[in-house]
Amino acid sequence: MTFIKLLFTLSLTVQLFASSEISNAIKEKQIYPMGKKIHTSRCPSLDISHFKTYEALLNAIQEKHICSDLNVKHSKALSIYLWDNKGEKQLKELPKITITKDEKCQVCGMYLHYYPTWVSQINYPKGETYKFDGIKDMMKFYFNNKEGIVDIFVQDYYSLKTLNAHDAYYVLGSDVLGPMGNELIAFKDKKSAKVFFFDHRGKKLLSFDELTAPMVHNLDR
Amino acid sequence: MTDKFNRYLFKYAYGVLLRSLSKNLFIFITLTLLVALLSATLFLSSAIKNEYTARVSHQADIIITNQKAMQYRTFDRSQLQSVLSIVGVKSAMGRLYGAYYFDKADKKLNIIALDEFESYSNKLLDETNTELEEASMILSTQAKNLLEEYYYKEYFNFIKENGTLRKVPIQGVLKSKDIQKRENLIIMRSELFRDIFDMDEREISDISVKVANSDELAFIAQKIEELFPSAKVTIKKDLLVRYEKSYNLKSGFFLSIFIISFFTFFIIIYDKLSGVSSHERHEIGVLKALGWRVGDVLEAKFYEGLLLSLGAYILGVFLAFLYVYFFNAAILLDIFLSQSDILHHVTLSFTPNIASMILIFLLSVPPYIFATIIPSWRVATTDADEVMR
Repeated sequence: MTFIKLLFTLSLTVQLFASSEISNAIKEKQIYPMGKKIHTSRCPSLDISHFKTYEALLNAIQEKHICSDLNVKHSKALSIYLWDNKGEKQLKELPKITITKDEKCQVCGMYLHYYPTWVSQINYPKGETYKFDGIKDMMKFYFNNKEGIVDIFVQDYYSLKTLNAHDAYYVLGSDVLGPMGNELIAFKDKKSAKVFFFDHRGKKLLSFDELTAPMVHNLDR
Repeated sequence: MTDKFNRYLFKYAYGVLLRSLSKNLFIFITLTLLVALLSATLFLSSAIKNEYTARVSHQADIIITNQKAMQYRTFDRSQLQSVLSIVGVKSAMGRLYGAYYFDKADKKLNIIALDEFESYSNKLLDETNTELEEASMILSTQAKNLLEEYYYKEYFNFIKENGTLRKVPIQGVLKSKDIQKRENLIIMRSELFRDIFDMDEREISDISVKVANSDELAFIAQKIEELFPSAKVTIKKDLLVRYEKSYNLKSGFFLSIFIISFFTFFIIIYDKLSGVSSHERHEIGVLKALGWRVGDVLEAKFYEGLLLSLGAYILGVFLAFLYVYFFNAAILLDIFLSQSDILHHVTLSFTPNIASMILIFLLSVPPYIFATIIPSWRVATTDADEVMR
């Protein structure tokens, strides 16, 4: 019992500690865009490599005005943006999957431009690309033609950003239907996949390597 | 009809029309007005619909307004952050706006406050934002004229809650035409706005949310409703539905007018169909006696009908075009839009609606032509001798 209590207190403190920090979602959706805008419009050439800590950077921006005159909110946004993106290069986003009006799904033959949010893509070495109106159809194709595939791209359900299929998580059997009925729905991380799993009554949450052909074919039953 | 256009028959048909000028002129004017009214309403309705969808498309996907006892209240910034934490929300922005009561003029000055480094869904506001200086304001022409009436040419004194004055210089007039239409609009920086209305740093007027995947929109709206049970959550689609509701009522009213006017038109046609006057019977008889074939008589009658109805159609559409796009549909617009409508100050942009033009054409021109041809055909096929008797 004491052990459980201890565990509980521990998890509580961890949570409390976490909440005092700004969550990733807020950083990504609000602070980074603002910081980026300030950075590009006010001081694009600001060099932050000689700052050792975040506090030093914030202090320099706030007190010494190294990037013009900013209020508290703006200087915080700028320093968080600069600090978090320091050193590491900005992750290059995969280009959006483009579709023309006469492209059709390789498996079912349906026109793709009616369902832009569901399109996925398989690339072969010689520049051959195949597009599909859902991950289910793409997987059916994939299991039959595994050899020599270079890239597999799917779209994240929530952000519609292009993902590498191998890094994505998939929810099967949810109440969200694609153009071909029951679908596999892709997510960029396990966290958002879990949210979707509980929101939309998913039956399975799997990574790419865990997917098998019978699972995919079972979706049609 | 014959395969070649017969100039003489056409001339004859023209002559026939001129002979009974007063009667034909009456039909022509009725038909023209009918077509004009119909196409004006159709032009107007498609123009309004376009304008509305264009404006709604500028809006954020979801707008959340806080309320208590059905009075609007501000949100706290922390509430914005809980919206941002919802998975699937692409971005959320705390907007800041309000109105200042200018008591001397008994008018409301609508104020939108901008934060220099926030990106707005509205491109026009974004453009204004980059030009806006700190501690000054940009006005719409309407607001500028209003302030000038009270001799505020370079600055305006806002009276704050505690009775002190805040003098704000006028930086200029809004350039973009679209946002100009908003009544008595002032744009200023949010710091200035907060100072004038004594709001603290954490207060925001409402929250606008963007969602990347529209399939998930309704679900996210539901989640927000659970998050703020007393707040009002408006989805973009709801705005369109609300508009369609009020607008369909008015179009229904117009539809009934159409039905009545079309019945009038068909009565005219029925009158023509039911009997050719004895004078016309004689005329056809004489033509046949002169050696005209049935085809020639019908061709002449076809030209007669075509000349009158096509003329009326073209003139009617042209008049409607002038009325709607050059005179901005002076009276009809007031019927369609109420005072409180967001489109109150609207310039109608040209939106051709081919389908409805064809519909009006088919409803007006062919029925009239048939109404002229069919009775004449009945007369022309009977024996000339019998007709003359």
